[in-house]
Amino acid sequence: MTDTLLALLHMCLFPGGVFALAVGFFFKGLDRRVEARLQSRVGPPLVQPWIDIAKLLTKETLIPKTACRQAFLMAPVLGFTGMAVCAAFIPVPGVFNGLFNMGDLLVLFYLLPIPAMAIMVGGSASSSPFGAMGFSREMSLMLAYETPLLMILLTVAMLVGKGLTGGAWGAEFSLLKIVAYQQQTGSFGLNPVMIPALLAYLIFLPGTMGVAPFDIPEAETEIIEGPLLEYGGPLLALFQVTSALKTFVVLGLGVALFFPGTVSDLWLVNLGWFLLKTLALMLLSLTLVKSASGRMRIDQAFRFYVTVPCALALCSLLLVWFV
Amino acid sequence: MKADTTIETTVTGPRTFSMPLGPVHVALEEPVYFHLEVEGETVRKVTLTSGHVHRGMEALAAQRNLIKNVTLTERVCSLCSNSHSFTYCMAVENVLGISIPMRARYLRTMSEEIKRVASHLFNTAIQAHIIGYKSLFMHTMEVREIMQDVKETVYGNRMNISSNCIGGVKCDLTPELFKYILGALDKVEPLVDELREIYATNPLVLGRTKGIGMFPKEDALRLGIVGPVARGSGICKDVRKDSPYAAYPLVDFKVVVKDGACCHTRTQLRFDEIFESISIIRQCCRDTPDGPLVAPMNEIRVAEAVARTEAPRGEVFYYIRTDGTDVPARLKWRVPSYMNWEALPVMMKNCNVADVALITNTIDPCVSCTER
Repeated sequence: MTDTLLALLHMCLFPGGVFALAVGFFFKGLDRRVEARLQSRVGPPLVQPWIDIAKLLTKETLIPKTACRQAFLMAPVLGFTGMAVCAAFIPVPGVFNGLFNMGDLLVLFYLLPIPAMAIMVGGSASSSPFGAMGFSREMSLMLAYETPLLMILLTVAMLVGKGLTGGAWGAEFSLLKIVAYQQQTGSFGLNPVMIPALLAYLIFLPGTMGVAPFDIPEAETEIIEGPLLEYGGPLLALFQVTSALKTFVVLGLGVALFFPGTVSDLWLVNLGWFLLKTLALMLLSLTLVKSASGRMRIDQAFRFYVTVPCALALCSLLLVWFV
Repeated sequence: MKADTTIETTVTGPRTFSMPLGPVHVALEEPVYFHLEVEGETVRKVTLTSGHVHRGMEALAAQRNLIKNVTLTERVCSLCSNSHSFTYCMAVENVLGISIPMRARYLRTMSEEIKRVASHLFNTAIQAHIIGYKSLFMHTMEVREIMQDVKETVYGNRMNISSNCIGGVKCDLTPELFKYILGALDKVEPLVDELREIYATNPLVLGRTKGIGMFPKEDALRLGIVGPVARGSGICKDVRKDSPYAAYPLVDFKVVVKDGACCHTRTQLRFDEIFESISIIRQCCRDTPDGPLVAPMNEIRVAEAVARTEAPRGEVFYYIRTDGTDVPARLKWRVPSYMNWEALPVMMKNCNVADVALITNTIDPCVSCTER
């Protein structure tokens, strides 16, 4: 009973729920601000994502007559639930060890595509041709970027498994052990064998977050936000909340997989250090990349994902396997 | 206005679904409606419908006197506003038999070329916007801002510069202003060069534009395409050379022609034209003679006349008929987008949905000009 309560608390307050949302929105605001500065604009205030949500919550919910009502309403809830659970799995090194300590990497891999699926469900339920177009694009893109992610997770798990069993075959899918192993032997992000996997993860980030050059499913100038076109009011706000949570999840996962080092015994310092690392990861892989690139076509993006990051991740996987 | 230009490339069946693009769409600067029959991501059939911004300007022109019509024609469109008042004034001068002073000829050439530089930069910026390259869009617009500043400083307005009047020009340029323009050109030239390099070499831009929207020379000849679209398909056609007007016979420039016939070529061609325009403005700054700005009006006779100029988008053609009063009996104009519109179905044959807006942008459509 206490375990369930504790788990709920973790999902609602820290690291999921309120904390993840605050971090996600803060990062989103910062991202917009930095991008604006890179384009010689002033940019919106840091609290703009909160203001957007507040505004959307005051608006009425419109559902297209031809839409599939239940699916249309449930899609944002589905995405939000997936990410809200996901956020509780993210370990904050030196502060929080993650919700479950067995095989949670695998659970994360299954939960991560849920927001993309929510967008697909919502898009196809909206009965708009742009939603259908966005659906097919989102699906192709998801297939393309999930492959390198699987290889990256496997590489990390195998490296830890090998280390823990003293060179024998094995894979360790517990984030707690992955983090603890790295804290003892050094971050994987600094391990030459893992550098290709880290690069592949950096390339995976803009794809999963749907920012340029991979903002194809929601391409504004092509299919006018695609699946999100028919959404407005609280439902759209829920999509934005999901996106903020996802920002926290994928960045936090990146830190856990590659840079889980701590700098002090004080939890507050460690928390700050964790946030700094996630922020650096975001600026590097999302903000800079999107300010320096245009949108690819879906066929180009698909080809890119099944070649470059896949090759990088495979490279690390083979190195871990044989060396 | 042409309604419903349709192409059918393959048999449409149950595998296709229809997708509306416009009349109000993020990637379109002006309202026009594309009805797409889409199979997966491939466009199988395009139906263009226009007529959303018809304002009845030709009828309006037949109710106002010749001088008021200068203001009216300037408002046909914002990006080539100067070309309209310019060509209208030329038509009126032809019908009245006025020969404009040399200084006015040079100043008209200058204003036209300043507008051309700004217009071409705008078009290339929108291309960056359409392919989602926001930083490049901002960068290009920043460079264009220098030309906007020139317009504002010299003519007092950023878009409708209102520099032409019947018989000459309204606004005189002092030696300081000439110096200022030369300074601005020195500032803008290396920046445009840098931009051209980015559009020519950036792999993302190239990946999206090269080989997209192919428009063979035969089709361009068959459809009577004008302006940069024709020149991008290897047709040497430029009113400034073919029937020189204003100070164009007196300045040295070459017509840029390219053979690539794709979106990338048309963008590069616009950049090359910007350099030619900069050279023309420099020559005008150097050679403009002293003298009067306006020639006196002649008596209005019963007559008709035409005039044509090269606007940033291609040939603008004006026809005027007077009946002896100060109100024209008929004023009719044909704009380049009217001709270039026909290129779209050819360019969009079996293209990707993602490229529809991109292709539309490379003909630099001016919907409000076309529908007026």
